Amino acid sequence: MSFGSPYVTLPDFAYHRPKSLDEALALLKEHGEEAKVMGGGVGLIAFMKERLMSPAHVIDVKEVPELRQVRHVPGKGLSIGAAVSIKELLEGGTLRGYAVLEEALARVADPMIRSRATLAGNLCEAIPWVDSPPALIALGASVEIAGTGGTREVPVSGFIRGPVDIDLNPGEIVTGIMLPDPKGTLSAFEKFTAGSEFSLASVAVALAGGGRKRSVAMVYGAVSSTPVRCAEAEQAVADGLTPANVRRAADMASEKVECVDDVLASAAYRRHLVKVITTRVLRRMMSA
Amino acid sequence: MREITVRVNGQERKRLVKDNELLLDFLRERLEVRSVKAACWRGECGLCTVKLGDHLVKSCLVLAVEADGKEVETVEGITPDGELTPIQKAFVSHGAAQCGFCTPAWVLATHELLQANPHPSEAELTEATSGLVCRCGTYNQIREAVEEVSQARPRLAKENLASS
Amino acid sequence: MTADAFVGKAVPPEDTVRKVTGTALYTYDWEVPGTLYAKLVTSTVPHAKIVRISLESAKAVPGVVAVLTGKDMPFRVGMYAGDRDLLAVEKVRWAGHPVALVVAETLEAGERASELVDVEYETLPAVFDPVKAMEADAPLLHERMEEYKHAPVFYPVPGTNIANRFRLVHGDVEKGFGQADELVEEEFRISHVSHAYLETQNVVAQAYRDGTYEIWTSAQSPFVVRQIISESLNIPYNKITIRVPFVGGGFGGKAGLQWEALAAMASKAVGYRPVKLVLSRKENFSSGASREGVVANVKAGFTKDGKCVAYKVRFVLDAGAYADYTVNVSRAMGYSAEGVYEVPNVQCESLAVYTNKVPTTAMRGFGYSESNWVLEQVFERAAKKLGMDSAKIRRVNLLRPGESHTATGEKVREDVGDPRKVLQTVLEGIDWDGKVERPSEPWKVRARGFALCVKGPSQPPNASSSAILKFNEDSTIDLVLGTGNFGQGTATAISQMVADQFGVAVEKVRVDPVRDTGKSAYTWQTVGSRGLFTDGVATLRACEDAKGQILDLASQVMRLPKSELEVAEGAVKAKGRPWLSIPLRELVFGYVYPNGNTVGGPVIGRGQYTSSLNTYLDPQTGQGVPTIFHTFGGTAVDIELDLVTGAIEVKKAVQVFDVGKAINPLLLKMQLDGGFIMGMSIALFEKIKFDEQGWVMNPNFTSYYLARMKDVPKDFVARYVETPQFDGPLGARGIGELSMISVASAISNAVFRSTGVKLNNLPMSPEEVWAAISSQKPELLAKAMESYGRVETAVKARQ
Repeated sequence: MSFGSPYVTLPDFAYHRPKSLDEALALLKEHGEEAKVMGGGVGLIAFMKERLMSPAHVIDVKEVPELRQVRHVPGKGLSIGAAVSIKELLEGGTLRGYAVLEEALARVADPMIRSRATLAGNLCEAIPWVDSPPALIALGASVEIAGTGGTREVPVSGFIRGPVDIDLNPGEIVTGIMLPDPKGTLSAFEKFTAGSEFSLASVAVALAGGGRKRSVAMVYGAVSSTPVRCAEAEQAVADGLTPANVRRAADMASEKVECVDDVLASAAYRRHLVKVITTRVLRRMMSA
Repeated sequence: MREITVRVNGQERKRLVKDNELLLDFLRERLEVRSVKAACWRGECGLCTVKLGDHLVKSCLVLAVEADGKEVETVEGITPDGELTPIQKAFVSHGAAQCGFCTPAWVLATHELLQANPHPSEAELTEATSGLVCRCGTYNQIREAVEEVSQARPRLAKENLASS
Repeated sequence: MTADAFVGKAVPPEDTVRKVTGTALYTYDWEVPGTLYAKLVTSTVPHAKIVRISLESAKAVPGVVAVLTGKDMPFRVGMYAGDRDLLAVEKVRWAGHPVALVVAETLEAGERASELVDVEYETLPAVFDPVKAMEADAPLLHERMEEYKHAPVFYPVPGTNIANRFRLVHGDVEKGFGQADELVEEEFRISHVSHAYLETQNVVAQAYRDGTYEIWTSAQSPFVVRQIISESLNIPYNKITIRVPFVGGGFGGKAGLQWEALAAMASKAVGYRPVKLVLSRKENFSSGASREGVVANVKAGFTKDGKCVAYKVRFVLDAGAYADYTVNVSRAMGYSAEGVYEVPNVQCESLAVYTNKVPTTAMRGFGYSESNWVLEQVFERAAKKLGMDSAKIRRVNLLRPGESHTATGEKVREDVGDPRKVLQTVLEGIDWDGKVERPSEPWKVRARGFALCVKGPSQPPNASSSAILKFNEDSTIDLVLGTGNFGQGTATAISQMVADQFGVAVEKVRVDPVRDTGKSAYTWQTVGSRGLFTDGVATLRACEDAKGQILDLASQVMRLPKSELEVAEGAVKAKGRPWLSIPLRELVFGYVYPNGNTVGGPVIGRGQYTSSLNTYLDPQTGQGVPTIFHTFGGTAVDIELDLVTGAIEVKKAVQVFDVGKAINPLLLKMQLDGGFIMGMSIALFEKIKFDEQGWVMNPNFTSYYLARMKDVPKDFVARYVETPQFDGPLGARGIGELSMISVASAISNAVFRSTGVKLNNLPMSPEEVWAAISSQKPELLAKAMESYGRVETAVKARQ
């Protein structure tokens, strides 16, 4: 995957700015595969410059009120509208209780990009090196999708099928991201970057519950084409964050997490980094 | 094609644009706002930074039609009376420009930072400008320029309380 | 006003006001009415014969005016190797090689059409490794090399991929090895890097029916652009005007010809309409030129007391598909092999080799940066082997002004600078003998290191400069220079000198920001840190010329011999009788007597500079005088190395240079800071990565990372030594490129001194450093990982 485009202008398209979700869905139904939804536009405009996408219709959902909301859904959690910018999300303690996501989003690109980019857009790009997907998977988040036929909800882990490949059909739109109620979940995010704005390896950890009911999620990003969980590492810390368990988790993760060679780093270095960031994130959680 | 109205540096501008036109090209080509540059065309270098509404954005990743009905500010807009603003003066005296190609973006970004936060910390400055790059390496001179403007500004009573 | 009112003062560059207000206009901002937009179509394969190019569908796109190919302009162009084409003719030599040019009414139409040009290729075997490219059966990139017009100082080997073979022999290296007690033998590698000037390569060209051409370009050297176009396309020099407005960075990457000839030919082909070509960042990476890669093999011999008695090195430059400027890089790399040291026996071979990759060209400090990466590390390795302090081994070998000879056999003059004082100042700046600070974590290492450097401008012996000084009616001065101004502030420094020559305020001297071959004073190029020196001397001569004219007139008017008059404080004064004076204003446009009778006229001073000292280098031995001055300097760093991740953080930087005379300390500091940051960025982050077909994999600033504010050390010490150069302008020497030469070596030396880990490959990315530690000192990494994994400390911190 080589990023960079010889082109600086965009392919031709018709721009639509629906004022309601119904209007957006009607446009999507009308234009089907020829349409792409635009939130902040950060990913879509870059992809269009690279000619990875050349939609005939661009549907800008920034002014769709249903997608501009962040709301608590009793018994479910926090629903984040697809058109809410990352900057807005990071303000006013919206993400209290979801430290792993807050930490991941706080380091997305830069403040100018964050004032435009959305969490949903970040997810839908499905670029292997971005940080929010592992955080969302660790939290057990799901994607809220609407189509003319109704709505559906898919776990983030299933939503990302591969690089720049997501479970979204023509005519459908991501309306929001649902974060389950944190209920005392302890979570944290770590990444390592060098010689790149992208992560070479990242890890998102969420620990929920206690005692025998404790659930652990450790999700690695940027090491492979899609975020991967490491059951062995999770198992290692299932009965508590003791120094011995942390060491074992780091060893297991480094051994078991499948890493790839790409333009940013070798698989061998990534395996090493997995150990480093696992230690780092768990150490921080121990002292939290 | 559609007609859009954008208030650019305080002046209302009406133009017919194509739907796929970028804000960057709208400003440069149609309105001849030449302080807005581009060096990567994909949101990495920050040279196309403008203020759109309340936020600084990278105009190579914004459609012109998105600016319809909104306000855009560039470096041309922060010097309305011909007199240089304090941050511009400090850039000059500290040598915070070499080739100057990125300078308008840095001036705009630091000006906006100082408007919002008259006494930015080192970390706040670094974070606020993390989307900008300068190949000539004037970072230390920019730091000094921001520091000078910050020092020259009176601290609010509230800030004094906080720091004492 | 005293004689030294402005020289030595921190005068801010006068053009900054335009830059901070966004009114400085670059070629990128230039629009000529009726401009058409050009778009490159580039090769998708590394090496192939062009069988057929289908243009029909591209031409059918509304707004497209023409689609041109190499057949429309089969010229061979270039400066040193003369090996380039404007668009591929017959075959393509790298993935990214321009094969066609779309010209359209809008850029959008041009881009649309460029996607529709279909090229059929017949693939040829390709070669991507410069060492393999020298093997007998390697695919040949340039079959007709013997037809190329090489400048006389280069030695191509037709029938091979060797674009230039530079050789230097000084003493008897084998005999030297016989005397050595310790040997250092290593292989070093340097990756391709991008200049990453922020204004991408771009040009606006207009051909006229009268046979003239006007070209606006983001270039460092308008006169050389004109020379190349004129010589290659057989157009008289005075029919070509090259205009250079503000330039958004060059760093050597805009030193020679870029796309000017292509745009000019396109303008002619589309019926004499102006054509603008702006490269996108990706195009700049994959179709423009970058800094070459290097493989260096070195063997050095040292005696027990630290004397380097033999130094044998071979540089193989991965020059890419075109080596037009890189042949000169290989030459400079060769003759600078010995750096600041006197070594009795040296043998060096430096080869620029063609490969099927992006073309390469000059970059800030070219040749010297690369040879420094090898030499300064060899000295550090030798110091450790001999159990000798890093500073001591250097003192033993440093060139002695007035006594020593350089590798090219040039006697080092007494006024050349003071390398010992530079070394001493570097050591003081970093507190060499003081205690190294404790690392912030037990798995990190805090360390200091330094490296020395020297450089002069790599220019032909006949390279010259000139200056024109024109007085205006109000006695302000328009100083006409040719040397470019893209951030160095050379025009400001020279203006300060002029102001003091006439005793006027520096604001009274102005240099127009636009360079124009029809209007500016000639200067060969703006490269090699030469501007202040060569154009400065020319300007001082222009001042003398103007003063002579003014004094002649004043002598007549005041009825005093010229010898009793002087120019001071903006007036002509009688020496010792300052009350007898006439303001310059009353003289520089002719003196008007009370009855209206006028004598004299507008004063125009002129001056030129050509070094009479330089020679060609001997083809067999490389002996001769290649440069007009040598600036000595050094860099020291205090770093923290994270053994666990391999990341290096620079905590403190020290830069010291013997500048002869600091004309403007602010400009000097800007260069020393900026050069360090660029050097550090290249040392730690920057690498153009190629895939197996030679495609650039990271043609953007996300995965080709440039240092940002967060990466820059705040603790920065810039110092200078002033050993005046007799023939320099007020004793000054050039500095612009010097400031990045020894940065990478200093960082690597810090790592080696503290850990014994050899970092032979640039960049020293975390992965590279981690791999070096893992393979060379696994026990060091294991220990660091163990301490890193001792998370009990975290728990303690909580309790």
